[in-house]
Amino acid sequence: MHVIVATDGSRQSLAAAKHFKSFADPTKVTEISVVAVIRPLASVAFADDLSEGKLDGSFRDAAQSAVDTIAAVFDGWGPKVNKRIRSGSAANEIIKAAKQYDAGLVVVAAGGRGLSDSVLVGSTAQRVQHYAPCPVLVVRPAPKPRRHRA
Amino acid sequence: MADTETIPHQDEDDSELKRSITGRLLFFYTLGDVLGSGIYVLIGLVAAAVGGAFWIAFALGVTVAAITGAAYAELVTKYPQAAGASLYVNKAFGNRPLTFLVTVSFLAASMAASGSLAVGFASYFAEVWSAPPALLVSLVFVALLVVVNFIGITESVWMNMLMTFVEVAGLLIVLVIGIVHVAQGNADFGVLTHIDTSGDYGSPALAVLAGISFSFFAMTGFENTANVAEETIDPYKSFPRSLVGGMVVAGLVYVLVSMAAALTVPVETLASSDAALLEVVKQGILPFSDEFMTTLFSVIALIAITNTTLVTIVTQPRVLYGMAREDVVPGVFAKIHPVRRSPWVGLIFSGAVVGSLLVIGTLVTEAGGGIDLVGRLATVTVVLLLAIYATVIVACLRLRGRDEEHPFFRANTPLLFVGLLGNLAILYFTIYDDPYSLIWCAGLLGVGLVLFLAEYFFGSKGTGTRTPDLDSTEA
Repeated sequence: MHVIVATDGSRQSLAAAKHFKSFADPTKVTEISVVAVIRPLASVAFADDLSEGKLDGSFRDAAQSAVDTIAAVFDGWGPKVNKRIRSGSAANEIIKAAKQYDAGLVVVAAGGRGLSDSVLVGSTAQRVQHYAPCPVLVVRPAPKPRRHRA
Repeated sequence: MADTETIPHQDEDDSELKRSITGRLLFFYTLGDVLGSGIYVLIGLVAAAVGGAFWIAFALGVTVAAITGAAYAELVTKYPQAAGASLYVNKAFGNRPLTFLVTVSFLAASMAASGSLAVGFASYFAEVWSAPPALLVSLVFVALLVVVNFIGITESVWMNMLMTFVEVAGLLIVLVIGIVHVAQGNADFGVLTHIDTSGDYGSPALAVLAGISFSFFAMTGFENTANVAEETIDPYKSFPRSLVGGMVVAGLVYVLVSMAAALTVPVETLASSDAALLEVVKQGILPFSDEFMTTLFSVIALIAITNTTLVTIVTQPRVLYGMAREDVVPGVFAKIHPVRRSPWVGLIFSGAVVGSLLVIGTLVTEAGGGIDLVGRLATVTVVLLLAIYATVIVACLRLRGRDEEHPFFRANTPLLFVGLLGNLAILYFTIYDDPYSLIWCAGLLGVGLVLFLAEYFFGSKGTGTRTPDLDSTEA
């Protein structure tokens, strides 16, 4: 099965990737494509919250670094990992990628919980859920942050 | 990283999806961005300064701007990143204070432009519905655009193209009216060569220079195309063509529209109108009722102004985001909303600064400050942008011979010198004509300085986002 792990550079997308890895069987997954989408006309075409790197004008570098971080999660896990950067509308491109790679599962993060997610309809995760050609794993933030910092 | 590989870009199924901005989209992006700013708002001012021959001001102004556009095209093809002028100046001079000044100037210019456009929006809006006060209309306009940007509707390239078509359609109406008027044999072509020397500017040359200075706001906006540089397919080929091509087409439209306006409406009427192009459609030359034409044209003008304002409001939080990542302004500007992935703090801040410009401007006007807010904010934009344009041309010349391994577009060198002189001449005149605009420039630059000091004294290193712990499995 080809699995698409989408990242928008958010910490939640990293959590989603790890969550997927925590229960999935690496022998059943043939290939993983980590997909980031750059939105050219957005204020911030790609925001990489996963590293502290400076932004010297290149959103492509930011997307690349986010994709690298997510791909590193699957290092040594088994399946072949592809890194793909696309350009356009996030939900559209994820759906297109799912069709193109004949994906068996799409993993996305839902950014918010509660009010912000229900008021702001049309978020990327919702659109992917509705229109993806395959099952979608939407990883929501935990109800309460249970962060234990080392 | 043994089992991880990056798919090469020439991968057959991915190649055309790598970037999404085609040359055609870029052309319409340039055209829409340039055409919306100004001609709807400023034609009256320009007509007042020059007289019937004010098309000359538009022609010369757009020439200087197109040459500057060529410098941008050269730099974009060399450094195809989204940061624009700041990046080029940083590459050319490597001087941090200068880079900061250019970045803040660009931010300030963009904010003043939004303000001017918002006031222009309000004056066309009054033609459709005159009940609400202008200040309220412009504030609601800015607030709505901030919300629209936050949600991400601005990201639709098709929406952008559609709005540009509407924009061009509006100017075509003006052209058709002009042609019908000429065909009816009512046009007096003498007006097209008439330069008014009786006004404030004694000589024809000064009157035209004043016109260029007032009309220059209409030429700005092309610098925002650097925003999409990185996502442009084959930028080496499409950037010069689409950027300079878009400017030339915009210039042609401006010249023809100016001629049509001058031929159909007495220059005094244009000069005294807040929404001058409306006077053209009100002449009753086309067989439609005045009311219908006025409403239709006002709606088109509102869309055109909205299109351009949207791009400026998209740019401001982006600049703030970049500066926050560089640790020169407080880290909150790097905050991204978890659901919308929009830099919401920067957006609200930009909206607030533009809003306060509008409020302060209105208060000064009401206190008898005797300023025309559209014109003043346009002048502030122009002063800041002209300084940036001149710096960018110098940076372009200075970067010759560097980073030239890749194919890049090379702008004509003598033309660049002409463009540099042109920018400086217009800059000099604009400041000479309206020295008080410098106070507004200083005020806006002060906002940048305050942010810098806030970061310097109270900020912490980094953007406040913690680097994630790769081993934890929170979900």
